[in-house]
Amino acid sequence: MERLEQKNDAVWLCIQEHPLDVAAIAAYLPTPLVGGIDLFIGTTRQWTGSRETVTLSYECYPGMALKEMARIARAAQDRWKLERVALHHRLGPVPAGEASVILAAGSAHRADAFEACRFLIDTLKKDVPIWKKEHFADGTEEWVQGGG
Amino acid sequence: MPPLRLRLQLFSVLRERLGREVLDVEVPAGSAGGDLLDILARTYPDIAAYRSTIRLAINEAYERETYRLSPGDDVALITPVSGG
Repeated sequence: MERLEQKNDAVWLCIQEHPLDVAAIAAYLPTPLVGGIDLFIGTTRQWTGSRETVTLSYECYPGMALKEMARIARAAQDRWKLERVALHHRLGPVPAGEASVILAAGSAHRADAFEACRFLIDTLKKDVPIWKKEHFADGTEEWVQGGG
Repeated sequence: MPPLRLRLQLFSVLRERLGREVLDVEVPAGSAGGDLLDILARTYPDIAAYRSTIRLAINEAYERETYRLSPGDDVALITPVSGG
């Protein structure tokens, strides 16, 4: 599974194995009605306390993950006045320092974009069927169980 | 009533622990999603370990454990997700 995508004038959803393209997402968001854009990037953190992570690897339930992302985007559009929304997630190995997820919202006024972006990441971490495995520097690995 | 045959999809920790991506099961006709999980938990210790945290996805959407299963339902066992 290389890439799952859905894109129209209001929402751009993507799940892909290639590195995420923050410039393309930032370019998608402005419209003449947008006055503020909030963009969140989640990256692989190398250190959690004293444990060193080399890479995270992600897998998804392909049939459902994009549908859940679409549902979350609709929920955000229902709750805030948003001109454009983007949810992009990477699959496969994501080395320390690289982006695993990028979420963005563009709205006429900044409060809607800020609040929607927080909702998008919090809800994605709770509901979208994507899982990550931590690969530690000591050679061990483990699936992360929720806790987003 | 003949038993209900279902094909379950497994991901992440359950896929690894059971060593397979799909699991074919038979449950009594009229079973609910929760009945299915109870039957699985009795048969597979690795599923029992996650029984309380597994969410059911049926036909690619989350459903409650009271959902009445039908032939042809596409069932997936969703352990706590960790995207982001």
